[in-house]
Amino acid sequence: MDLDSLKQIILDIESRATSDFDSVNTKSDLDDAYRSFLGKKGEVNILLKSLGSLPQEKRKEAGKILNQLKSTLESGYAQKTISISAQEKQDKLNQQKIDVTLDGFEDLKGSVHPVTQTIKDICDFFERMGFDIESGPEAEIDYYNFEALNVPADHPAKDMHDTFYLNNKGLLRTHTSPVQIRTMEKAKAPHRIICPGKVYRKDSDLTHTPMFHQIEGLVVEEGASFSQLKGLLNDFLEDFFGEAVELRFRPSYFPFTEPSAEADIRWKKNWLEVLGCGMVHPNVLKGVGVDTKKYSGFAFGLGVERMAMLKYDIPDLRAFFDNDIRFLNQF
Amino acid sequence: MQFSKNWLKEFIDIDLSTQEICHQLTMAGLEVDGYEDVKSKITGNDSIIKLDITPNRGDCFSVLGVARELAVINNLKFSLPKINKISESFTDDINLKVCKDGPIYFGRTIKNISLKSKTLPLIAERLKLSDQKLIDPVVDITNYILLELGQPLHAFDRQKLNGDITVRLAKEKEKIILLDDQELELDSSCLVISDEKAAVAFAGIMGGKASSVTDKTNSIFLESAFFKPTIIRGKARKFGFQTDASIRFERGVDYEIQELAINRASSLLNSTVGGEFGNTINKTIKTQLPKRKNIEINLNRANQILGTAIPKKEALRFFKGLGLSPQSQGENIVAKSPSWRYDLEIEADLIEELARLEGYDSLPQVSLKPVYKKGNLKPESLISNKLVSKGFNEIITYSFISEADNEMFGQEQNTLRVDNPISQNMSFMRTNLISGLVNTCSYNLNHGQENQRLFEIGNTFHLQNNKKVIETKVVAGLMTGNLALDNWNKKSDEVSFYDLKGVLTDLTSLFDTPFSLKECTKEFLHPGISASIRYKNREMGYIGTLHPSCLENLGLKKNIFIFSLEIDSLELKANSKFKDFSKFPSTSRDLAFLFDRNVDAESIQTTVMQSAGKFFKEISIFDIYEGEGIGPNKKSVALSVSWQAMKKTLLDSDIDGAVDKIIKSVKKDLNGELRI
Repeated sequence: MDLDSLKQIILDIESRATSDFDSVNTKSDLDDAYRSFLGKKGEVNILLKSLGSLPQEKRKEAGKILNQLKSTLESGYAQKTISISAQEKQDKLNQQKIDVTLDGFEDLKGSVHPVTQTIKDICDFFERMGFDIESGPEAEIDYYNFEALNVPADHPAKDMHDTFYLNNKGLLRTHTSPVQIRTMEKAKAPHRIICPGKVYRKDSDLTHTPMFHQIEGLVVEEGASFSQLKGLLNDFLEDFFGEAVELRFRPSYFPFTEPSAEADIRWKKNWLEVLGCGMVHPNVLKGVGVDTKKYSGFAFGLGVERMAMLKYDIPDLRAFFDNDIRFLNQF
Repeated sequence: MQFSKNWLKEFIDIDLSTQEICHQLTMAGLEVDGYEDVKSKITGNDSIIKLDITPNRGDCFSVLGVARELAVINNLKFSLPKINKISESFTDDINLKVCKDGPIYFGRTIKNISLKSKTLPLIAERLKLSDQKLIDPVVDITNYILLELGQPLHAFDRQKLNGDITVRLAKEKEKIILLDDQELELDSSCLVISDEKAAVAFAGIMGGKASSVTDKTNSIFLESAFFKPTIIRGKARKFGFQTDASIRFERGVDYEIQELAINRASSLLNSTVGGEFGNTINKTIKTQLPKRKNIEINLNRANQILGTAIPKKEALRFFKGLGLSPQSQGENIVAKSPSWRYDLEIEADLIEELARLEGYDSLPQVSLKPVYKKGNLKPESLISNKLVSKGFNEIITYSFISEADNEMFGQEQNTLRVDNPISQNMSFMRTNLISGLVNTCSYNLNHGQENQRLFEIGNTFHLQNNKKVIETKVVAGLMTGNLALDNWNKKSDEVSFYDLKGVLTDLTSLFDTPFSLKECTKEFLHPGISASIRYKNREMGYIGTLHPSCLENLGLKKNIFIFSLEIDSLELKANSKFKDFSKFPSTSRDLAFLFDRNVDAESIQTTVMQSAGKFFKEISIFDIYEGEGIGPNKKSVALSVSWQAMKKTLLDSDIDGAVDKIIKSVKKDLNGELRI
């Protein structure tokens, strides 16, 4: 063999090895191909052993080109190893693909009752205005529910409230107003309080439930005026509904306020009564020892269910007390 | 009250649309419930106006009263209807006696009337538009006067009256049969009209049957009287009814209108049923009439409270229009309440009148300035947030429950009851929240909701010594069905006692109130799967599964777990402070012991904790086995105990001693054998 024919053989090996490496797809096929060229019994080794038949002066050059072939094939092998391993990873990822449109595993939903949520929304506004949240008993006595609120015995104003009486000679409060009296008895003016709670009236039909929730507000301070009452309620309603509402005030009657007013909002073209309010009657303030020369006060009361029905578009009052989970889960 | 709009023209010359009139009335405090346009052959283009009169405005329970309001609002001339004088053909021989509670009485006898004649068409039409039934010409006219002038009248059959007429208090247990046949037993707080034999009317409320006008009546005695509101108030209601007369008298009738009313009635009767008219007889105790009080109003103060600048001239004009005969006195105005207004007594009342006539809507509006207030966290909202995050739905149920529910879930003694419940199912005040939860659960099961987590926060009621009510705020919760929703991958486990206990533990970790669970004796709970929640040895609640016989009674198949906890005595945790933790690894040992079945986890944990030495970190039970291979009434409990030091890595030699001590203590205190 002479140097030229050796070069010819090397070119041939290089081209076959390159094409073999190229055509395999798995690591083991690649290793087989590797072994057939670069293994102990591979073509390159066999060729190396045959160099002995070359004349001495040619051997050095022959060794050099053979080593070049070796390193070309090694690097071809290494490159192919990387690309096969990348491909195998990719294939594995492709196999792991799941159906992401199948349902996720959900926990049971919890919910706050819309009445509680509404009370919270309302109280949050008034707390920001500096009102304290107060509460009082639901089983009341006549004095706090009526007498101290300027409703004497047998007064026709009692007809406005159908009262539940209890076997201890007490009654279930018909409004949250008794909390006004209890608070003013406990602490000295000035006052800013808001009193949410359950109230009871003997009334049950499509638009009345024998138990419902009210929120009562009271401000007693120097210079408390009807204009502030109007302003406060206007601000409150805007906060509650999240947008300005058309509001009107008209005279009404509550024994514990004078002047008294009813506040209506414009709702789908009609006027809808949402609030009762007024300047606290001097008899009420005097009854709890407030100096009426120094302080004046205003109070307001609203029905929570009514507000929640408007805000959440709930058509039926009774839904609040059916507690159907399909209803509750919507809030 | 409802009336025909055109009737107003008897008093004022008003030419406004019904809509405008209704708007004015509503904005003046006489709320219009609705109106309806009608075409009448007799009253022409007319409308029916329905008013919802507040209890303070008794004066507006008449067309006259409404007309007077409209006159002031629109600055119109107001005049009373013209009345034709009727010649008297005889002198009445009845003597009248009145008293302080009924200080005015006008009466008139009319003989030989003809009840066959028809009620005048205009009167009949107006009564119909007022939704008033036509009865006979006499009654129709008394009803007409009541609606027009607000003065209730009564007509007796003259021939059924015996002698003189007295207004007096009833005797104790005095009986009377009223026009509508009901028999009442009166007492001395009731006022009656009496002849010489018996009470002939329940004064101001309803006439008696015995002296009533019938189709055979030939002569009548007409009554136009004034009774004080205080003597009428609550009387009809006490017997469970109300009449058009009682509604007006208890709110206050104009005490200067009785003569006008009897004359107006006479004139109308004369042109309908005819007859011979006697003289009008009258008795009045002037000193017993309501006083026309002087009320002083400081215009500056009024303007300050209303935020207005109403000039004195305008205030005087308003008050004059309202019949208050105002006098200017320096800064102040002194006004007198008119005979028809019972609601004007103090300055605030006059401020309302000013505001009303000025128009509430036109009063200025200013925002209230916020003031700083310390924040205030309520236990309820913490509890609610926690439970909602754990998938619980908040419910709100009625505070009154049925007797059956009270028997099953409540307490038979010390219950607060409603004397006048809306139905027998709502007559007991709840002593806990369990029946509301269970009934709601049952309702939702019936509507296909198998997995439920519910809670309620509300007051419970206990009666102490039959008098004092103890109201306690309680949170109660319920779990039933599965722990999670089934899905395409796996079926969920059924809820167990320990799932609810986990919720409770999580809940109570919010508070600084360490609880212990003790044996529980609630009848509606399973005796073996329930516990009393105690704090400082006081029961604050309970947790458990409903007693199987309860479930059976309610027709429920799946287990229902409930808990109840008093909120009021929970103490909020103080602000958390950072606690350092070890940076060195912890070491643990697993140990299994054989115990008698009744040794509870709490005692095992306590014993281990107390003997585990100074590096003890925590203990957890990771397996419990009962059954084959370990003998009856025995259980095997596997524990993992771990140790950790703040400043070094622990070596076996640091904890070997502790392990030996644990094994010895468990043997000594609990008779537990180490299993190898």
